[in-house]
Amino acid sequence: MEKILISTVGLGIIAPFAFPIITKLSENLRNIIAVIITGLIFIFNCILMQNSFSTQATYNITFIPLMDLTLRVDALSAFMATVSSLTSLVIIIYSIDYISHYENRTEYYTMVVLFIGAMMGLVYSTNLIWMYIFWEITGFVSWRLVGFFRSDKDTLKANKTILITVFGAIVMLAGILYVGLKYDTFDMRELVGKELDMTAGFLILAGILSKSAILPFSTWLPDAGVAPSTVTALLHAAVLVKIGTFAYAKLFGTVFLIPVEFNYTVLIIAGITAIVSGGAALVDTDIKRIIAYSTISQLSFIFLGLAVGTQQAFYGAILYILMHSVAKASLFLCAGIIEQKTHTKDITKMGGLIKTMPLTALSFALSAFSVMGLPPFGGFFAKFLVMKGAVETNDIIIILMFFIGTTMTTLYLSRLFYYIFLGNEKINSPEEGSPTMVASVLFMAFLGLLLGIMISYPSSYAEMISNTLYIGGIVK
Amino acid sequence: MNEINTTSANIMMIPIILPLICGIMILFISEKTKYVREFFSILVTLVSFWACLKIFKLGPNSELVINWFSSYTLNFKLDYLSLFLISSVSMFSLLISIYSISIENKGNPKIFYFLLLLTQAASAGVVLSDSLLMLLFFWESMVIMLYLFVYISSDKPQTRATALKTFLINGISDIAMMIGIAMVYYITSTFSMTEISKTKIIMSGWGTFSFFLILVGTLTKAGAFPFHTWIPQAALHSNAPFMAYIPAAIDKLLGIYFLARITLYIYQINQTVQIILMSIGAITIIAAVMMAFIQSDYKKLLSYHAVSQTGYMILGISSLNPVGIAGGLFHMINHASYKSCLFMTAGSVEKQTGINDISRLGGLFSRMPVTAICFIISAAAISGIAPLNGFFSKELVYKGSLMTGYNIFFYAAEIGSILTLASFLKLGHSVFFGKINDNLKETKEAPLSVLIPMIALAVICIVFGFGAHLPISKLIYPSVTTLGYSTQVELAGFHFDNLFLISMVVIIIALSNHLIGFSITGKAHKASDHIHFAPIFHSLYDWAEKGYFDLYEISKKLFRSFSNILFKIDRFFDMLIDKLPSTITLKISSQVSSIHRGIYNYYMLAIFLFAVIYMMYLGGIKW
Repeated sequence: MEKILISTVGLGIIAPFAFPIITKLSENLRNIIAVIITGLIFIFNCILMQNSFSTQATYNITFIPLMDLTLRVDALSAFMATVSSLTSLVIIIYSIDYISHYENRTEYYTMVVLFIGAMMGLVYSTNLIWMYIFWEITGFVSWRLVGFFRSDKDTLKANKTILITVFGAIVMLAGILYVGLKYDTFDMRELVGKELDMTAGFLILAGILSKSAILPFSTWLPDAGVAPSTVTALLHAAVLVKIGTFAYAKLFGTVFLIPVEFNYTVLIIAGITAIVSGGAALVDTDIKRIIAYSTISQLSFIFLGLAVGTQQAFYGAILYILMHSVAKASLFLCAGIIEQKTHTKDITKMGGLIKTMPLTALSFALSAFSVMGLPPFGGFFAKFLVMKGAVETNDIIIILMFFIGTTMTTLYLSRLFYYIFLGNEKINSPEEGSPTMVASVLFMAFLGLLLGIMISYPSSYAEMISNTLYIGGIVK
Repeated sequence: MNEINTTSANIMMIPIILPLICGIMILFISEKTKYVREFFSILVTLVSFWACLKIFKLGPNSELVINWFSSYTLNFKLDYLSLFLISSVSMFSLLISIYSISIENKGNPKIFYFLLLLTQAASAGVVLSDSLLMLLFFWESMVIMLYLFVYISSDKPQTRATALKTFLINGISDIAMMIGIAMVYYITSTFSMTEISKTKIIMSGWGTFSFFLILVGTLTKAGAFPFHTWIPQAALHSNAPFMAYIPAAIDKLLGIYFLARITLYIYQINQTVQIILMSIGAITIIAAVMMAFIQSDYKKLLSYHAVSQTGYMILGISSLNPVGIAGGLFHMINHASYKSCLFMTAGSVEKQTGINDISRLGGLFSRMPVTAICFIISAAAISGIAPLNGFFSKELVYKGSLMTGYNIFFYAAEIGSILTLASFLKLGHSVFFGKINDNLKETKEAPLSVLIPMIALAVICIVFGFGAHLPISKLIYPSVTTLGYSTQVELAGFHFDNLFLISMVVIIIALSNHLIGFSITGKAHKASDHIHFAPIFHSLYDWAEKGYFDLYEISKKLFRSFSNILFKIDRFFDMLIDKLPSTITLKISSQVSSIHRGIYNYYMLAIFLFAVIYMMYLGGIKW
């Protein structure tokens, strides 16, 4: 089990450096190897997840004192790793066709696989310092990938992305040092049940909010839409932005005890974000910016579930991470097909695409239903559980904010669908995307449906996570 | 305690599982086959209906609990009320399956029958669920079906806009209901309606709040004011089978069913709430019937009546006495049968003539006698003419509302009746009587598949009228007792009392109104013009037609400006974290770089000053 653990992390971090050499031999070989590596990581994670309740594999590499790289599997990290690697796998398969006619393909694959490796490292490491290091690697990768197209505008947006997230991360580092020096350890296993004061809490929170694009650090996410759609799907919908929610769940849900006002502040911030980004999504006309705003608003629902402070809401939030990753990745990938075939991102210039791209439209609709939280899609259960959490706060302001937030979700997604697929036909002869691309989005869309119909499997796992790990710690 | 019946527990799953599986199977039936889908669907609905009849024999009172997820379970529970509902749902599914065979404008038949069966399964799920969460699951899943039903009707942009409106109104009201149900759980720590009904939720704090949130969902489903506006629009842009199936039958059945459940079963509502509910009922009756009166589109006119009749049911249920409740429930099934029948006649006329505009129709009685007779029977029933079913249920509602002591609601209901009859006189007169247009002379009667369901429903209107005793004692009264009410008053039966005399007066007023209107203009379809263009009404109608009273249009505008403000806030935050820091950094660095000019004198001075200050510090100078 330990070997599987270290290869899950090691594979993604070391292998990509061989890509430039492999490319010299054959491009196809590189693509296949990238898919195989991601597939292996996914399979390894499945194995780890299956055993995560019985044996908790640990792997230790000794460095200087306080900074041992310790990898350890627990149910929450195994779940997060599996969800991330699953969506990454689908996105990589989709990339083969999507990225094939752009430049810098080798860099693309190197960075994407490196990102997956860093993500695994981040998820599994129990040392806060190492978590920060992997955190910064994902930031660096994100910088390279957002600026993939290299025009001035793209690099500007890429700089914005990295500046905001790195600023947050450095603030978080200060928080981590503060805590680590106070308790004389950076190992999360030893920190369980320790109290965290407001200062350290907010320092760490700044990093989390900037990574997960919550107000006031949210606007880099819509701007990062200049990246290729696969990158937006991978980084800005399914995996990277979930790092923040994961860190919140891990640190404030299963490790530290926090003051009750802290959670309440997070709830208010999340509520405002849900409304503001929902409103922005109703106004913007760029397809990818709208989906990015929708990601921001959905992320705030995850924070709602995490910050309510009950086991049920916590497990709702974990389900939400899964359902949203699947559905939102599919939406961005659909946007990728649409963007490639219509050569525009402006939804007012689209319309009537349901006739020419029926399968994309179907996947888009199914995924949008899941994000809206309509039964029988998986999103319904997640949304219901976090809304139930909102009610349990017994606070009318929170309830109203998220009521409006949910309403806006329905509004902007139906507006988006209406503009793109219904409306009047304006573009001549667009065609359906390539089979691999359409198959990927259909797979994701039906996965969302399947997760809803077979809800007992993901939910029982998520519930076990929250039953075994959640300490719901509030300092009295 | 009633004994739990395991056989009927197994049989009650048939109306849910069978249509669900077969509905998905229909998608895989080849496009080339003819009538296979249709007969498949008829077979499925027939079996479901048979299953319901079987349960009637075995007796309800059965339960089935299946693990769902986490600690939540799927609680299927069958009592008299849900048995009554599930039989009606199956019956309407069967009739619509037959009716739709030869209606061409229903959209792609594959999708249509798929949706029909799925809707049946979901509505069966709603009425059989004892758990509120499970009810919400089935209830909310119908939004997608509703959207697609409208969407597949035609390719026109208006249809798409209507489909979107349908989706949004229903979807958003379901969100309200979701939060309401979450609150119920917060208050009672259970989703089971049976458990909640033992203690009932009282009207205070979260209790009231959750009641109104759930009420929004319920009223939207039932199509009551002010959440009804998608129905008339759908009538214009969709097809007759859909209108006969969902807004006329299924939605009313489910909406009123759940309204009865919440107001009578799981909440202990107080007088204020009762008055609010009764006012909603009265406003729905008057506002919708006023609009119906002036319409000139066959289906749109009917759709406004579908809204207005909901008011009677709400009025009956919220009277909170057994007579009124029985009236409300009886009216629910009666309305479903005659309104479904009326929409079917509209579809029949549309199919044979291609026309929906009543000003271009006329004299069809001789050409389509069966359709015309079915129309006359069901129109008489909806207008509450004795001794058809509508008469009896309206009587009960009147009695119930009089018993509450708030007579104003009774008057509202009676005014509604006058206008209902008047508008049906206008409709019937202009479609089936009068002079026939030349281009309609060749019109033939509709095919048998269209006629059979219409005749069946017309027969129900008569049987439930003359033999009102049967449905009241077998269906309605057991349902009322399920809800925890009982009475010694004889509910069925014909009384020569004041209410009967008033109904005569209603008929006379409506008739004379029609004759006045007809004699002024000389055209049957303009028989409402004397009210339509009367001074105050004229402007009111104008505003209504422009959508000034449409909650959807109002909130659309509100949300547009609201989101513009929010977008500005978002841009403000962007400025705060993007523009502001970068300008400040640029300013500072340009200032700092302006010091570094490469002039050694300055550097030497700086070093010297620093050295002096440092030495002073080391020398122990206190600051």
